[in-house]
Amino acid sequence: MIKFIVRRLISGAVLLFLISTISYVLLYLGGGDIARRILGQTATAQTVADKAHVLGLDRPLFVQYSDWLSHALSGNLGESWFTGQPVTIAITSRVAVTLSLVLGATLLTAVISIALGVWAAVRRGWVDRVVQFISVLGFAVPGFLIALGLVIVFALNLRWFKPTGYVNLTDSFPGWLATVTLPVIALAVGGIAGVAQQVRGSVIDALRQDYVRTLRSRGLSQNRVVFKHVLRNAGGPALAVLSLQFVGLLGGAVIVEQIFAIPGLGQVAVTATSQGDIPLVMGLVLATAIIVVIVNLVIDLLQGWLNPKVRLS
Amino acid sequence: MFRWKRLTAVAAVVALGLTGCSAAGGDSSSDTASQTLNLGVIVPATTFSAADANWANESPYMQAVYDTVLKADPDGTVEPNLATKWSYNSDKTELTLTLRTDVKFTDGTKLDADAVAQNLLRFRDGVSPNKSLLASLKDATAVDDKTVKLTLTDSDPALLTSLTQNAGLIESPKAFSNKDLKTNPVGSGPYTLDTKKTVVGTSYVFEKNTKYWNPSAVHYGTIVMKVYQDPTAMLNAIKGGQVNAANTPNNNSIDEIKASGFTIVNGELNWEGLLLFDRGGTMNPALGNVKVRQAINYAFDRPALLKTIGQGYGTVTEQIFPPSSVGFDKSLDTHYTYDVKKAKELMAEAGYADGFTLNMPSSAFFGTAPFSLLQQQLKEIGITVKYTDPGNNFIPDVLAPKYPAILMVLQQDPTDWQLINFQIAPKASWNPFHYEDPKVNEFIDTIHHGSKADSDAAVKDLNAYLVDQAWFAPWFRPASNFTVDGNTAAVFQTGNAVPYLWNIKPKS
Amino acid sequence: MIDSQATESLAEASQRSASHASLSKRMLTNPTGLVAIVLLALVVLSAVFAPLLTSHDPNTASLHDVLDPISGAHPLGADSSGRDELARLLFGSRFSLAGAALALAISAVIGVTGGLIAGYYGKWFDSLSQWLTGLLMALPGIVVLLAASSVLGPSMWMSMAIFGVIMSPAFFRLVYASVTAVRSELYVDAARVSGLGDSRIIARHILTVVRAPAIIQGAMVMGIAIAIQAGLEFLGLGDMTIPTWGSMLNDGFVSMYRAPLLLLWPSAMIGITCVCLTLFANAMRDELERSSTKPSRRRRRAASRAAAFEHEPVERHDDDERSREITGEELLRVTDLAVGYDKPDGSVSTVVSDVSLTVQRGEVHGLVGESGSGKTQTAWSILRLLPDGGRVTNGSIVFEGEDLAGVSEKAMQRIRGKKIAYIPQEPMSNLDASFTIGSQLVEPMRVSLGLSKKEATERALALLARVGIPEPKRTFAAYPHEVSGGMAQRVLIAGAVSCDPDLLIADEPTTALDVTVQAEVLDLLRGLQAEMNMGMILVTHNFGVVADICDRVSVMRNGRIVETGPVRAIFRQPRHEYTKALLGAILDEGPARGPLASGVTSQTTDAAAASPAAGNVSEGALK
Repeated sequence: MIKFIVRRLISGAVLLFLISTISYVLLYLGGGDIARRILGQTATAQTVADKAHVLGLDRPLFVQYSDWLSHALSGNLGESWFTGQPVTIAITSRVAVTLSLVLGATLLTAVISIALGVWAAVRRGWVDRVVQFISVLGFAVPGFLIALGLVIVFALNLRWFKPTGYVNLTDSFPGWLATVTLPVIALAVGGIAGVAQQVRGSVIDALRQDYVRTLRSRGLSQNRVVFKHVLRNAGGPALAVLSLQFVGLLGGAVIVEQIFAIPGLGQVAVTATSQGDIPLVMGLVLATAIIVVIVNLVIDLLQGWLNPKVRLS
Repeated sequence: MFRWKRLTAVAAVVALGLTGCSAAGGDSSSDTASQTLNLGVIVPATTFSAADANWANESPYMQAVYDTVLKADPDGTVEPNLATKWSYNSDKTELTLTLRTDVKFTDGTKLDADAVAQNLLRFRDGVSPNKSLLASLKDATAVDDKTVKLTLTDSDPALLTSLTQNAGLIESPKAFSNKDLKTNPVGSGPYTLDTKKTVVGTSYVFEKNTKYWNPSAVHYGTIVMKVYQDPTAMLNAIKGGQVNAANTPNNNSIDEIKASGFTIVNGELNWEGLLLFDRGGTMNPALGNVKVRQAINYAFDRPALLKTIGQGYGTVTEQIFPPSSVGFDKSLDTHYTYDVKKAKELMAEAGYADGFTLNMPSSAFFGTAPFSLLQQQLKEIGITVKYTDPGNNFIPDVLAPKYPAILMVLQQDPTDWQLINFQIAPKASWNPFHYEDPKVNEFIDTIHHGSKADSDAAVKDLNAYLVDQAWFAPWFRPASNFTVDGNTAAVFQTGNAVPYLWNIKPKS
Repeated sequence: MIDSQATESLAEASQRSASHASLSKRMLTNPTGLVAIVLLALVVLSAVFAPLLTSHDPNTASLHDVLDPISGAHPLGADSSGRDELARLLFGSRFSLAGAALALAISAVIGVTGGLIAGYYGKWFDSLSQWLTGLLMALPGIVVLLAASSVLGPSMWMSMAIFGVIMSPAFFRLVYASVTAVRSELYVDAARVSGLGDSRIIARHILTVVRAPAIIQGAMVMGIAIAIQAGLEFLGLGDMTIPTWGSMLNDGFVSMYRAPLLLLWPSAMIGITCVCLTLFANAMRDELERSSTKPSRRRRRAASRAAAFEHEPVERHDDDERSREITGEELLRVTDLAVGYDKPDGSVSTVVSDVSLTVQRGEVHGLVGESGSGKTQTAWSILRLLPDGGRVTNGSIVFEGEDLAGVSEKAMQRIRGKKIAYIPQEPMSNLDASFTIGSQLVEPMRVSLGLSKKEATERALALLARVGIPEPKRTFAAYPHEVSGGMAQRVLIAGAVSCDPDLLIADEPTTALDVTVQAEVLDLLRGLQAEMNMGMILVTHNFGVVADICDRVSVMRNGRIVETGPVRAIFRQPRHEYTKALLGAILDEGPARGPLASGVTSQTTDAAAASPAAGNVSEGALK
């Protein structure tokens, strides 16, 4: 078990290194005249050159990267070129926001899609078709349209929730709920479709397993078998989809945070990549990769718990 | 969708956007001192370091925490602030400022002449996008505690105005060596930044400076500046009452905002239209011909463009000087009335009866309509416009220069001198081919060194000459809109993207 | 055994490819599939024939038509530049679909080739591509696209190409999984033996197997690509020089409050296309599921044969003295039972008909026949545990005097386990791999008998000991995959008898076991049956087993009972041709069954050694 975790962490570290190198090179190549971008249209050529020198942008790529890397290894990711904020602070202060959105959405996705999927799989027939249709709709309508629809109806017209912004959970729970509900729903809607389909499929598969009949032949009710045995067995594939979902939601957060003006990683991702704020983008890339590595590790451990056959030793 | 953000990303100072500002939702009671202003802004603060400060859309951040040496009223007139008196020597190469003596930084340090001198030199040597504002500053020295002397390499007609902007921001010298200089400002301004409550890049919380020397300029107990980089989010925040006033850079939602019961404070800050950069014809020989440039000017149906692109909010114009300028001449705005026939004649006279191809950059941050309409209008006189989208490198590529002409929204600076050095002079950033015309140079020299009367006359002549020579093909001055709710009042600031902070007040 | 399995696999494979041939036909008869296909075809055709459908140029702006409402000149209005919305929508379909198709093509080419190579040849390429797949899946796509567009500029084609690479694991995983599964399947070996080269094996088997799932995956990828395209345009990273649905959406956003319809058209187009792609994929998967489930195959085969052999009289043997010895009360009486499955077209395919049989307490009734003859269906119908769509269409099942047809599901639950118990055929698949053996034994006892956890545990341990498991405690705590097949079957037997049933239905209880354990398990069953004085239905295809422990036997063929009677009578005087053939087959299989078939008492020692079951059989037959 520990060996397994260590091995995964090492491969994660290699992954981080590769991703960071590739990203840095790409950003450097695509950066264009970053100093000009930072300074905008009014700056003179001399001002731009001064700025480039101050940022060290006039050095060769290799020197810049190794400089960044050595600092990064010591935990210093530099400062944002556009806000002057240390990157580590910029990210740690926002990561909780995005994670609370993404985890909330993942949880919501899991609960609803498992309910829908099981319902559809067990009942089949028209229930199945209705569930399928609803989830297909959720899947097919672009997320930002759903988000905007939610804002207009529930925030602007009904005034149940806040149209923009974010309140920390630790500051005010009702405030947090008022700001976080709509984005979480907007994020989850698209995912529910896919996961519900997956759950439906795995439950149907699991229901076809011989042991279901055998367990029922011993007097267990259909519901009991479904909720105890079938769900646990369908859990593996569903979990796999959920983990992909989680990664997908990290991406989805980009758009949703933008629409709801939520101060999360996604918002920074859009700003930083479009500005070419290399230190911040690098920090983001690392943060995302770390989150993904950890999530995948946790998912694998959960898989082992769900399915004793793949239990890791 | 993210036009604003990308725009500001590329051109941090472009004055397209306005900061939304708003008084505290709901409880704008009479107790001014405890009121909160929720101000919507479209860009985060690039830095709080005075030496590297930005202006325009970022001016509210700076004005909250710093004082400027001088202060401009809404129409641009320079007024005393930290400096109560100022005087030039005869050839305007030495400026002596007399300072107030009752001002303290929030770290307790006294604001004295030395602090001012140090700040001015630091700005000159810093990396602010506007550092060229003090390019002519040779030295700044403290004559005594309350007197600063600025020596200039050459006279600078815009210097006093510059000192009302970011060039005049004064930061506590004790903070210069602080590690968190960029995010934790120490000034003498009406508010202090609450770094604990602030989420950098998203919301900035300012608390009233109870010891501020000029309490009449402090209208709120707390100011929260919320950053909305997405126009839809900003619109939703306005409609949802989360900001009491806000910026609406694209005029598309103005009707909707008005219908929701908000007031629009507007003025004209920019001009939108074509910059015919390659007046020398080095990249596109056709543009070297004044008749072609004039034909281009005749090709545009400006009122229709204003109606469709600017939603009718703004004024049609054919000159780049603003109405506030002494050089402005209303009659110049009808110099080139839409006339395709005339344009074609001019094209034929110039030898381009069959037209030519013009390469231009396009950019998502202006929306698609201006580009497709531009293409359409020029097609009618035989010019085929080919677009390239340089993405984020729009401004760098344009200023490289990589294109003979561009469509742009450019600021009309508060002073003619600034505008000339920004868009016209041989070394101006927005004259990237560095095209020179002896007559233009002559006008500029007179404006620089001539008497007030001569200078004013020269500005007028220059403006008329540029219109006739068709250096540009302006379409209109779009209205820059600033939305305020029922509890808030604001006054438009000439030449700035947003009202100055002290002009945003609770409605009495 | 291996041979027959290989043949079966080959048959299955060819059937699978045959089912592909008809898949397209079935997609057209599936209502959802048909609607999706028609709508998609319309979208594609309207894109292809765009110039015929509108006279407007999608890029021609007009100052005087800006935001024009719907009119004769502009059927869908005009956008913020006065361009014709309909023309942009139609021509936009071209670019949007082509972009999505590009993403699809790239992901499919990379994924399929990678999957084939990695799955088939393995080695370093396998580990490398697995790693790369992990890497790609670890990246949030939109962030990568954001970064890429800041590097490469706003090109829709470039974004879609990159997105294709990002999505390639979807195909890679699919193909890889199929290939590794197929590679381990025997028919590939068989094909290899028959001299087919690698490429032909891949082409013939793997690609046909993967084709349909790949189409499903492709439809999904296409849908996602369209949505991502729109998302990128929404983020302002679109290429404004070409009309796309996304750029129209972006334009619509700008004028959202002034001309809301401009948002509607592209949204509807994106929505309809994505919905149809998903529905198409769903319908196709449904059809695949339908064709690949075992019951339906069995069903079809059985049904077709049943039709051919209708109205055949049952050969009945009179009771002999041995069968008359069984005097227990009648437990089960099945009369004229018919079992059918609902077909999608509304008709019913009958898999069992006219089945009548009785079981008395203490009696073992053998149900014999080759696979697909309806034995198992009969057994399941008694338990009322038929697979989806299956139901009793005729006849009655009376258990202890009560017609089970009138019993509620709740009451049925009380009958199952406690009154009628069931031993399945395949030990491993009938245990839930996710739970310990103990918990699977304890749970039914607690539910059916209402025992406490402790009592149930004690009883389970006792049962495990009774069924001959050497270390009950260890097995109790073990997971199913940690015990052998023979042990697992004993566990299932323990589970079946755990609630003291009156009737035990054993469905081929020894078929999946090693010959060496078969006899022990049969002994155990016989012992338990006698000990607990249960009635028992023993489903088997093996006459040897029948001879060993059955008192009475019914021979089934094509869903009907062809011959029934006391075991000895049937062995001595088989009347039906089919029974004779079955007995003859035993003869062919080896000397051990020989004596049985002819009812002769001689036996050979080597036969007994080779097949203990057969040995027991002769013993039983001589009783």
